[in-house]
Amino acid sequence: MGRIWAVARNTIRQALRMKVAVIFIVLLLVLLPVMGLTASGDGTLMGRLQTFLSYGLSLTSLLLCLLTIIVATYTITSDIEGRQIYMVATKPIRRHQFILGKLLGVVVLDIVLLVIFAGTVYAMVMLLPRFYDAPEGEIAQVNSEFYTARASLVPPVIDVSEEVRTLYEEKKDQLKQVYQTLSQQEILKELTIRKRLEKRAAAVGQGVLWEFENVKPLGPNESLYIRFKYDVAENPADGQVYGRWQIGDLRQMRYGTEIKTPVWPEDRKDPVRAFREIEVRADVVAEDGYLAIGYLNPPLNRTVVLFPLEDGLEVLYKADSFTANFIRATLVILCRLIFLAVLGVLAASFLSFPVAILFCLVIFATGTVSGFILESFDLMGKNIGIIYSYTIEAVVQLLPRFDKYNPSKFLVPGRLLSWSFLGSVVLSMVCIKAFLLLVLSLIIFSFRELAKIII
Amino acid sequence: MDYAIETISLTKIFSDWWGRAKVYAVDDLNLKIRPNEVFGLLGPNGSGKTTTIKMLLGLLHPTKGHALLLGGQGADPKINARIGFLPEESYLYRFLNARETLDFYGRLFGLAPDVRKMRIEALLEMVGLKAVARRPVGTYSKGMARRIGLAQALINDPDLLILDEPTTGLDPIGTRQIKDLILKLAERGKTILLCSHLLADVEDVCDRIAILYGGKVQSEGRVGDLLRQADKRQITMGAVSDKAIGKIQQILDEEGVDCEITAPMEKLETFFIDTVVEAQQQSQPTSGAVSTTDIGEFLTAEKSQGNILDKLVSTSEAEQTPAVAPETEHVEPAGVTGPQGDQDLLGELVAPEAEPETEQVAPVEKPGAPQPAEVPEVKKNVLDALTGRSATQDDTTSSPQEPEKDGESGDG
Repeated sequence: MGRIWAVARNTIRQALRMKVAVIFIVLLLVLLPVMGLTASGDGTLMGRLQTFLSYGLSLTSLLLCLLTIIVATYTITSDIEGRQIYMVATKPIRRHQFILGKLLGVVVLDIVLLVIFAGTVYAMVMLLPRFYDAPEGEIAQVNSEFYTARASLVPPVIDVSEEVRTLYEEKKDQLKQVYQTLSQQEILKELTIRKRLEKRAAAVGQGVLWEFENVKPLGPNESLYIRFKYDVAENPADGQVYGRWQIGDLRQMRYGTEIKTPVWPEDRKDPVRAFREIEVRADVVAEDGYLAIGYLNPPLNRTVVLFPLEDGLEVLYKADSFTANFIRATLVILCRLIFLAVLGVLAASFLSFPVAILFCLVIFATGTVSGFILESFDLMGKNIGIIYSYTIEAVVQLLPRFDKYNPSKFLVPGRLLSWSFLGSVVLSMVCIKAFLLLVLSLIIFSFRELAKIII
Repeated sequence: MDYAIETISLTKIFSDWWGRAKVYAVDDLNLKIRPNEVFGLLGPNGSGKTTTIKMLLGLLHPTKGHALLLGGQGADPKINARIGFLPEESYLYRFLNARETLDFYGRLFGLAPDVRKMRIEALLEMVGLKAVARRPVGTYSKGMARRIGLAQALINDPDLLILDEPTTGLDPIGTRQIKDLILKLAERGKTILLCSHLLADVEDVCDRIAILYGGKVQSEGRVGDLLRQADKRQITMGAVSDKAIGKIQQILDEEGVDCEITAPMEKLETFFIDTVVEAQQQSQPTSGAVSTTDIGEFLTAEKSQGNILDKLVSTSEAEQTPAVAPETEHVEPAGVTGPQGDQDLLGELVAPEAEPETEQVAPVEKPGAPQPAEVPEVKKNVLDALTGRSATQDDTTSSPQEPEKDGESGDG
C-alpha cells in the first residue's frame, strides 16, 4: 500500500505541477460565479435556479471528465514515453501496484476537485435567492418544487399482450388492410399502444382509477402532488376540461366501513395538454402505503379525456431533502469520473498519449449520447437491426450510459435521486464496467515490454 | 548459482511490424558475473549493451534464453529491492525537486521514514546537490541530473549496482568521483555492472570486461590479462643524466632489445584537475566567500561519500554522528575541520583502492607513449593535489573548486 500511495502522491503532484489541472480549476472558479450571476432562465427565480444548477453541474462534470481523461492517460503515457518508468519499474514495485497507484492518484484528485466544485455549485444554489427580490409566490414555488427531492410514482404499465393478440387474430385481415405498409410486428406494436391508451381514457360519464402501493412521503404533514396532463379526442371550445377527482384510500369506502384516512375530493377545470398539479395532504395515504386516484369525466366535457402514456399522470411527494439529493448527484458524477479514470488507464496501458486520449474521448462522447444511438437502432429496419443489435448495439451497451445516469435530470425538476438509483450506477459503471476495464489494463500492462526498442 | 548476474543464451530479436526478424540486438549471450566483481560491458553504440541491461531488469522480454539477477528474475520485487539501477540517462520526474525525487524512490523501496530521511540527506550531500535540492530537477543540467540519478540508485544500499553510462554528461571531477565511488563500493562487497563506451572509465575501475559487438561477446576476461603486453617492459624513473641513459641504452643494445626513451606524459584527467585546482587558487582572492561554500560542499560530498557508505553499508549510526558535523561547515566557509575531513577521506580513498588497482592497470601502457602515471598514481596525484593544498591552505583550496564544478555542470 505504501508503494501504491507513493505513486498516487506523485501522480497528484504531477497533475498539479504540470498545470494540467490548474487550467481546469481556474476555468471553473471563474465560470461558476459568472454563470451564477448571468443565468436567468425564464426570468423567474425558479428559472434562474434551474438554469444555473443545470449548467453549473454539467460544466463541472464535463470539465472534470476531460481532466480525468487527460490526467489518467498522460500520467502513464508520459512515464513510458519519457522513460521514467525505467527507474520506477526496476524498483520493488509490481506493475499492478504502479497502475493502481496511478489510478488512485487520479481518483483522489477527482474527489478533491469534485468536492470543491460541487460545493461551490451547492453554495451558490443555496445563496442565489438572497440576491433576487423574488415575490412570495415564487419563493413558495421554489421551495416546494426545487429545494426538494420528490419521489415520483407513475402508474404501472398494464400488460395488454393477451388482449392485443386476440384482437389481432380476430381482425387480422381488416388490420392488414388498414396498415398495409406495416409488418406484423409493427401492427402489434401499434395495437399495444392503442390498448394501453384505452386503459387511461375516460369516456363521458365514466372514469379511470389508478392504484399505487409503497407511497412513502416523509410525514403526514407533507404534501402530495398529483401531476397530470389531459389529452382529449375532440378539442373543447375554450380548451379546458372539467374533472372530478377522488384521492385517498378508496378501499375503505367499499362496504360503508368507517373511514380512517381522509379521502380528498377535488373538482376543477384545467387547460388541455398542460401540466397541472393537485396538492393534497400526505395523510390521504393509507398506513400500508396504498393510494388510489380516481378521475371522473363529467358530462360537461362532451369528449373522451385521456392521460398520455409517458407523462399523463404521476404522484410526487417529498421523499428527501435537496441536500441529500445533491450529495447523491455528486456521487453519480464521481462514478462517471472513476469510470473515465479507469478508461484512461486502460488506454494508456497500450496506446501512446494522442491515440489514448482520442480513444477515451470517442468513448466518452459515445457514452454521452448512448441513448440516442440505441434509440436510432430501434428505428432501424428489422433486417439491418439484427446485425446491429449483435455488433454495435452490444458495444454501446457495454459503454457507460452517461446520459441515462445524468444527475441534472433529477436535480433540476427537484426529483428524488434515490439510493437504489445511485446503487445501480455504482454497480453498473464502477463495479462491473470499470472493474473489467481495470483488470484488462492490469493484464496488458503486466505483460507488455516497458522499454522502447532502441538499437 | 553463485553468480550475481547470469545470462543463459540470452537473445533479443527485434522484429518488424509483420513479425519478421529484423535485428539481432543481443545474440546468444552468456555472461557470468561473480559477486563482488566490477564488470564492464563495453561496446560501440548499438552493440546491445543497453538491451542486455533492459532484459536483465525485465523491461524487455528476451526472445530466447534467460537472465538471472542475484539468482532470481529481474522483475521480481524481492530482487529489485537489492538492485540499484542507473539508466543511460537520468529519466527524472521534471516536476519534483531533488529531495522529493529521492523521497519518491525511497518510498518505492519501502524504506522507513527515518531511514529514508537520513539516506536522502546523506546522498544529497554526497552528490553535491544539497544547495539545489529545492529546485525542480527539470531545471538541472545533464551532469546534475546524472548525480541525482546516481543517488537514487544508491538509496536502497544495493547489493548489485547496474550503471549504464554513469559518467555521461559529468565533468572530469564528477567522473573521477563516480569512479572512486565505484571502487569504494566494490571494496565493500558490492557487485557492479558498468556499461560504457568510455574506455578510460572502464579501464580504471573494472576487474573484468566483456566487449560486445553485434549483440555477441567478442572478447572477455580480466582487464589486466587482456591488456598486458607480455613481451615488453617499462621503466619509470626520475630525471637522469644523458650519460646514464646512454649507459642503459648500451646495456639494452647488448641484450639486443630495442628501446625508446621519452619524457612521460601526464594523463589529461590529472592535468585537467590540477589545472582547475590551480586556477581556482589564483582566483580565490576575488571570489572568496561564495565559492568557499561551494567547494566545502563539493569536498564534503567526496568526504561524505565515506560517510554515506558507512551509513548505507554498515549502518553504524553511532559513529556517523560526529561525521555529520562537517556538513555544517560547508554552510559557513572555512573551518579547519573541513579540509581535515577531506584529508581523512582522501587518505581513506587512496589507501584501500590504490593497491588492488595497481596490479590490474599497471601493464596497460602502450609502448609508443610511455605513461608512468598509472591510474592509481593519477588518483594519488589528484588526491594529493587536493589534499596537499587543502592541508596547507585550508579553505583557500576549498573555495575555488566548486564554482568550477557548478559551471561545468551548468554547461553540461
